[in-house]
Amino acid sequence: MIGRAEWFSRRKYGGWGLSVKTWQGWLYVIAVGGISFALLNVPFISESVRMPLTYGWLAIACLDILHIMATLKKDEMEVRIEALAERNASWAMIGALVIGVAYQTAQTAVSGNQQIDMFLIATLVAGVVAKAITNLWLERKGI
Amino acid sequence: MDNKIKELRQTQNLTQQQLADKVGVRRETIVFLEQGKYNPSLKLASDVAKALGSHVEAVFYLDK
Repeated sequence: MIGRAEWFSRRKYGGWGLSVKTWQGWLYVIAVGGISFALLNVPFISESVRMPLTYGWLAIACLDILHIMATLKKDEMEVRIEALAERNASWAMIGALVIGVAYQTAQTAVSGNQQIDMFLIATLVAGVVAKAITNLWLERKGI
Repeated sequence: MDNKIKELRQTQNLTQQQLADKVGVRRETIVFLEQGKYNPSLKLASDVAKALGSHVEAVFYLDK
């Protein structure tokens, strides 16, 4: 892998992902962005090669970023804080999804046309499944 | 739960960062532990006590 976990920290205040911690991290960001930009703009690459090459590079970059996120070292207190923050984030999202489904259900009832976005329902179902699997796994494993 | 981390750390002339490095946590965690704002797991409490050359029961105690 290319990037190292010690160059980054967990993003806390601006969503999910990574925050740059060291100059090597900035160099990594510039390199990933620069190569992507170059692949899209360099004139001597034929158009038939450009897109597969760019997507290939972006796939490698995404895998590398996921690897950095997975290997990011967190101490006990950070893990607890992150778990509570993620729980609160999921509750906020569940609330917004439920309000969305309720609104669309009301609109469907009033207009008579089916207006419920199935992706909202699927997202809620995915959350239920993820929660059930996590409970089952952790209760068996004994956290 | 209260503790004697700061007292023991200062006795050994360790900075918060040095203690954090010995234990393998962030400096912020040591700050919160010293202030009694964070109750550690038994594992972390044991690691901190060991890094200070002491035992858990000598470092951490219930504040009545």
